[in-house]
Amino acid sequence: MAANYWESTQRRNWQFTREQLEDLRKKLEEEDQNLVQMYPLPAVRHLSIYFNQQVARLGKRLGVRQQAMATAQLYIRRFYSKVEIRRTNPYLVIATAVYLACKMEECPHHIRLVVSEGRTLWPDFFSSDTSKLGECEFFLISEMSSQMIVHHPYRSLTALQGIFSLTQEESALAWSIINDHYMTDLPLLYAPHTIAIMSILLALVLRPNTTGIQSAGSSAGNIASAAHAALSSAGQTKTGNEKPGGGARTKVQKLANWLAESNIDIEAIVDCTQEIVSFYEFQEQYNEKLAREQINRFVKARGLDK
Amino acid sequence: MFPSRRPPFHPADRGIGPNVGYQSKVRVIDRYKVIGFISSGTYGRVYKAVGRHGQTGEFAIKKFKPDKEGEQIQYTGISQSAVREMALCSELSHTNVIKLIEIILEDKCIFMVFEYAEHDLLQIIHHHTQPTRHPIPPSTVKSIMFQLLNGCQYLHANWVLHRDLKPANIMVTSGGEVKIGDLGLARLFNKPLHSLFSGDKVVVTIWYRAPELLLGSRHYTPAIDMWAVGCIFAELLSLRPIFKGEEAKMDSKKTVPFQRNQMQKIVEIMGLPTKEKWAHLVNMPEYSQLSTLSTSTHPKSGSNLEKWYYSTINSHSTTSVPSSNVSLGAEGYRLLSGLLEYDPEKRLTAQQALQHPFFSTGDKVSSNCFEGLGGKMEYPHRRVSQDDNDIRTSSLPGTKRSGLPDDSRPVKRLKE
Repeated sequence: MAANYWESTQRRNWQFTREQLEDLRKKLEEEDQNLVQMYPLPAVRHLSIYFNQQVARLGKRLGVRQQAMATAQLYIRRFYSKVEIRRTNPYLVIATAVYLACKMEECPHHIRLVVSEGRTLWPDFFSSDTSKLGECEFFLISEMSSQMIVHHPYRSLTALQGIFSLTQEESALAWSIINDHYMTDLPLLYAPHTIAIMSILLALVLRPNTTGIQSAGSSAGNIASAAHAALSSAGQTKTGNEKPGGGARTKVQKLANWLAESNIDIEAIVDCTQEIVSFYEFQEQYNEKLAREQINRFVKARGLDK
Repeated sequence: MFPSRRPPFHPADRGIGPNVGYQSKVRVIDRYKVIGFISSGTYGRVYKAVGRHGQTGEFAIKKFKPDKEGEQIQYTGISQSAVREMALCSELSHTNVIKLIEIILEDKCIFMVFEYAEHDLLQIIHHHTQPTRHPIPPSTVKSIMFQLLNGCQYLHANWVLHRDLKPANIMVTSGGEVKIGDLGLARLFNKPLHSLFSGDKVVVTIWYRAPELLLGSRHYTPAIDMWAVGCIFAELLSLRPIFKGEEAKMDSKKTVPFQRNQMQKIVEIMGLPTKEKWAHLVNMPEYSQLSTLSTSTHPKSGSNLEKWYYSTINSHSTTSVPSSNVSLGAEGYRLLSGLLEYDPEKRLTAQQALQHPFFSTGDKVSSNCFEGLGGKMEYPHRRVSQDDNDIRTSSLPGTKRSGLPDDSRPVKRLKE
């Protein structure tokens, strides 16, 4: 339901296992083998980074809040789990997702404004005809079966930051990790509170080296193992034996204890942590120019921009 | 560069392509057989239908009007209220909220398919004024109120404000189940990015509009729905709207006028609100307007609601109708006054109202509001007309079809 994740369409219809997601994507590629062979595309994660950049660019021009952009990203991810990318104009899909997400998140923008900003950002790939975006909206909503209410980890983070007495910096870091997770498959794999806990854990583990996450790529392995160590200690620790030590360290311990006593699936948190850390690693190899060229090529060649 | 090679057209092709526009995977007329036209309103039209593939029951299909009816229809972007209604109805699932079966997006139109309900409260109330006034039986009133509150409680627990509760929007199935319908104005109220006020300036049909809204409050809470529920309760008892004001129209500058006449109607029965009983009253933007309202009695003399209640439930008893509402007794008054409480913070919540002794004293509340009526109370079936059976075509502007426009009363009632 609207305020209850457990009864939501998100949990019932839009949460997959890795295998299911894999199968969905494989099926799409098989249905369009010719297209797939003719137009190679970057890896899913790199495509996601590219889409995320475009959402952010459009969102910035429109002054859209982060939560609405997150909703748009989730719409795009859901949509492309059901529709082969090469059959669509991704720029149109991105703009439509932002347009629809803004309505759902109560910060609507006029369709003409969204189209004109789209034209400015992607002049060679975006029609000035508003009815194209209106039509794509039908397509998007239809593929999502009108299930447009989404639950984000931000709310869980807000609720939990007090419990773990996160500093402003730690909260901000956790927040940005949540922002980043929309570039991975995690929102289609795990519940928002699982993601929120992962973001807190990672923020606490990363916090000591204040350089932040962007520089973490080189030591991704270390981060993963540090997070993993913290979590595995959750299995063994009992409450009440908190060792004195550095602030962040104590907080990690507290989180571990809290997890040990909760019913939260620790394996899921471990998996989330690994996924995001490996994403940060993979991000290093991202080549924006290549992604753009590969996308633009099939859009032009197939006349999808018309 | 590759030469521009287009894949051959395939009938199963769908999506946004150079040659193929958006195509719905299911077609309304393939899945449903329309058996008549129910009503039209600002949003579009509602049709009654049955399934073609053995789907059980009957359906009400709400077709949203495309922006430019009659002219060449174009995709113009779906209105925010339609998006909200589609999204909310897809999530909601409760016995006392109308059930969405599916949504079909086809030919630039939106079709929302709902379970069909034979009656609505407006129709039931109207029936009890014909040929002469005779009260709705107390067991029916009680059951309707309980189910209505139950539906509200579910909506509010899920952070959904209905914002347009009125008898015409409360459906009743032939099995006596109450279903809150028309979530066209409903919204989530958990952490809105913008204030709930900024979106749509005026909400809720004026007769059911809460006093804090009339006084210019920008703070929406579930309490506004509860005021409307109180008004509906009163209407079930008296068979006419309790506060039947006249709406002041927006002026040319599009500023929202103070709804003086509506507030006046409330004050006539409820007395003037006081800052002693409603702490935030003085902070209301239109507070100064209150002193300009005329009061028949001394400003501090308080509410006439109790008098109104007892004269209402006793009024029919002289006509020797056995099912008089006298049996609703003092608890009925307490529930009513708890719902029609001026201070939104003190007004009963749906949860509190469900716990009210009104429902635990006297006869047991039935989940079928028609239970025990036997054959003596037969409500008329919903009027379904045959002159606009083609759900695929939309008529030209100005050609009003039969059926009641959604926002107005039957003509007879307006002339009362």
